[in-house]
Amino acid sequence: MAEIFVLAEHREGELREITFEMLGAAKYLGKDMGATVTAVLLGHDVDTYAEKLGSYADTVLVVDDPKLDYFNAEIYQKVLSKLISDKNPVVTLIGHTAFGMDLAPALAVELGLPLATDCIGLEVDGGKLFVTRQIYSGKVNAKVSLKGDQYMVTIRSAAFPVEEGTLSGEIVKEAVAIEDVPYRKFIGYEEAPAGEVDITQADYIIGIGRAIGDPENIPMVEELAEALGGVLACSRPVVDKNWLPKDRQVGSSGKIVKPKLYLALGISGAFQHVAGMKDSGLIVAINKDPKAPIFNVADYGIVNDLFKIVPVLKEKITELKG
Amino acid sequence: MEIVVCVKRVPDTSEADVVITGKDIKKDDLAFEINEWDNYAVEEAVQIKEKLGGNITVISVGDEEAKEVIRRGLAMGGDTGIRIDHPALAGSDSMAIAKTLAAAIKDIDYDLVLTGAQAGDLGAGIVPVALAEMLGVPHATLAVGLDIEDGKAKVKRELEGGLMEVLEMDLPAVVGVQTGINEPRYVSIMGIRKASKKEIKLLDISDLGLLPKDVGEEGSLTVIEELSVPPVTKVAEILEGDPAEAASKLAEIMKEKGVL
Amino acid sequence: MMEIAGEPFAQKFDLYTCMQCGKCTGGCTVSLKSPLNVRRMMRTALVSESSDAVLGLKELWDCTSCGTCTSRCPRSLDPAEVIFGMRSLLIEEGRGVPKTIMEALESTVKNGNPWGRSKMKRTEWLQDFEGEVKDLTGGATAELLAFIGCTPSYDPRVQDVARAFATVFNAAGVDYGILGNEESCCGSEMHAMGEEGLFEMLVEENIELFGGFEVKDMVTISPHCYNAFSNKYSEYADVNFGVKHYTQFLAELIDKDGLELSKELGKVVTYHDPCYLGKHNSIYDEPRKVIEAIPGVTFVEMERSRERSLCCEGGGGMMWNEGAEGERTAVVRVRDAAEQGAEIIAVACPFCMLTLEDAVKTAGYDDQIIVKDILELLAESL
Repeated sequence: MAEIFVLAEHREGELREITFEMLGAAKYLGKDMGATVTAVLLGHDVDTYAEKLGSYADTVLVVDDPKLDYFNAEIYQKVLSKLISDKNPVVTLIGHTAFGMDLAPALAVELGLPLATDCIGLEVDGGKLFVTRQIYSGKVNAKVSLKGDQYMVTIRSAAFPVEEGTLSGEIVKEAVAIEDVPYRKFIGYEEAPAGEVDITQADYIIGIGRAIGDPENIPMVEELAEALGGVLACSRPVVDKNWLPKDRQVGSSGKIVKPKLYLALGISGAFQHVAGMKDSGLIVAINKDPKAPIFNVADYGIVNDLFKIVPVLKEKITELKG
Repeated sequence: MEIVVCVKRVPDTSEADVVITGKDIKKDDLAFEINEWDNYAVEEAVQIKEKLGGNITVISVGDEEAKEVIRRGLAMGGDTGIRIDHPALAGSDSMAIAKTLAAAIKDIDYDLVLTGAQAGDLGAGIVPVALAEMLGVPHATLAVGLDIEDGKAKVKRELEGGLMEVLEMDLPAVVGVQTGINEPRYVSIMGIRKASKKEIKLLDISDLGLLPKDVGEEGSLTVIEELSVPPVTKVAEILEGDPAEAASKLAEIMKEKGVL
Repeated sequence: MMEIAGEPFAQKFDLYTCMQCGKCTGGCTVSLKSPLNVRRMMRTALVSESSDAVLGLKELWDCTSCGTCTSRCPRSLDPAEVIFGMRSLLIEEGRGVPKTIMEALESTVKNGNPWGRSKMKRTEWLQDFEGEVKDLTGGATAELLAFIGCTPSYDPRVQDVARAFATVFNAAGVDYGILGNEESCCGSEMHAMGEEGLFEMLVEENIELFGGFEVKDMVTISPHCYNAFSNKYSEYADVNFGVKHYTQFLAELIDKDGLELSKELGKVVTYHDPCYLGKHNSIYDEPRKVIEAIPGVTFVEMERSRERSLCCEGGGGMMWNEGAEGERTAVVRVRDAAEQGAEIIAVACPFCMLTLEDAVKTAGYDDQIIVKDILELLAESL
């Protein structure tokens, strides 16, 4: 029977959410393709992960080796290319994460497989795989076909829901001889320097985006944050410009926050940002562009210039708070 | 240090009302610019050259207009430009573009290849890592820090949640650059005019030993079939009125929902 | 020798004529809070070997281009232009350029405006406007080109001024049209920020654009656009059109009884002279004439007015740069206005509007003084 590979992703003692999202997606894909789902787990001393994965996959294929303790794209690639060549899975799913992005393209080149990255939809038609991915910063969805009969796909975080794990998959240990990779060495992890405010602990967050335009405009928003008793956070472009420190960045490459209130000011709602705040209690967006994707995440919205709204909103809030 | 930087000219769709025409969008009204990630890559190359000396080749796959971004890279501090163009390249996926770039770069005696980690238009993030594999050299993408020392590259890779991975690899290598790695300098119009004296070599795919069937739709393993506007899954309740009215409604809702 | 396009500073700006008298520095408002010393800048420009000498001078970016130094120079030199020239050295090399200035310049290269907004949204200010405005790019013709300018086109506050312009000019029955989304930056601030190449490029493109629509006469909302078109463009190209600031145009119209104002304003109004009308172009009377034509205006002058007027710090690229620390002169200006019991500070420049509106809040006069463009006062009294 055909097989779908899902590469389990783990870091610092935890299986990452994307793994279960992919296993959820693979379950449906498996039904459409008549394929079983195999979670592929590379690591060292990972028995607990393997057990957990067993509830979500028909098979858990484990390669346990000290060399796999930390993610190293080059070593992972060698092991995976061996496994894929041996077992010929019809589809291999990898997370479109910092790990997956560093691995999948090289692996696809080595194996000569078609690769579609950052996918948010999977569909089978006439035995062929079609994926949906977003282009032009999320303004357009593209339906993409993959040639041949064996595919590799990377999956966007949070694009697929996690299903309840009801299976009891078989755990299969596979011994793969791993050659040394002297040319690339993992040295360690490093946390971005912590600032004075921990935004993940805040109940009220005001997120600002590129539309803030000028660091001179930040104090005005800070006043609103103060009125709310909240803190200021931001999207990636604001950090890239050094207008706010990295520890204020909300999003997949920044912090994940779940405040009671998230007020998005001039944030367009790029997927990377949304991934960091979508589970907030109440989400309010203020943006000039009525088509900004942030309005598809927010509970309430105001289509207007943030500079017009912020001063009056501050007054109203101060009034109501008495 | 012999450095190669790959750049791409992309449309700015941030404020655009995107119009789909067939398998692409209408672009004639759009402003074009260097892909933001590539801009950081060029700056990184120039900073390395300023520190260690050497030579920078700026390379782009694209039509006549792509000269604009190559010239910009040359104005920033690049030395020579290469533009690869051929009608057969239309419809190439990211892998086919990487293949084209690899064919051109393999003939350069490089120490380091820098590319943007992804491009603002297609957002695939394939080129740097695929290119490294095709060239047979190590790679790291999403670099937010890069130090070259003793023939090695020490790279800080941006992971999720504010975490970074620190790694070391041998040169030659390919590094995919993430935004924020540096502060790209200003490129003046005068600087661009002066840089227009620097050579931009034009290469055809046949100069690279490629056939039309190796690139374009035929040479790609993925093909865009159809474009659509993303379906709206949820829509915020829009609070209407002038700023004062809208703000007042919002404050009331916040109070009602118990967040004030 | 430091050079611009192969010409030494000494020659280009006649620096040997400078006798280092220091009158420039003595009149410089910015020097009160910034190390900017114009006299010393003139000397640096004369004696320095390379742009390295300029790189460390952070105060170079503090100049607001008010033009006081130039107007005070006994040898008729132009120190402000020397400062722009020194900025241009750093701009050309991409060294030491403040980040926010870079953003403004990059946006202008890409979108034709320094506000980071899309070129396609330039006529956004017209969205909520109910009257008719002809768009020459849509095939309409008109006697007069209304050059709206970047800030009135995009800034949400100043968009009100653009709409007031259209309201007033419509009421007066003036046959005017705009260039729609094809209008582009005049380049005034690009020149002041030292982006000479960009300024030249904008001059070329604008001259070609205006030529294509056979523009004979133009009116501008911003004194900065006015100054660029009427004084600077001719240094780079043949200028075949006449240009007026709207206060000039309306003063003439009022002389001919061409503008009917009926509603009583009933306010005490003072007027803040924008540098680019006043100091740079000696246009002092026309704006006052227009304000005084509004029924029910009690006009008061501030202590410092006309030639002695104080710069609001909005020019010279300061809309995109933090500038020198310390109290903003706009705040001083608001206090000057309050001293005279003014309820309204009338302005005739988009930058003054923005700096003074901020200053009213900073100075704590929110419930006492409002800032209005003359066009807005006219629109209210129609």
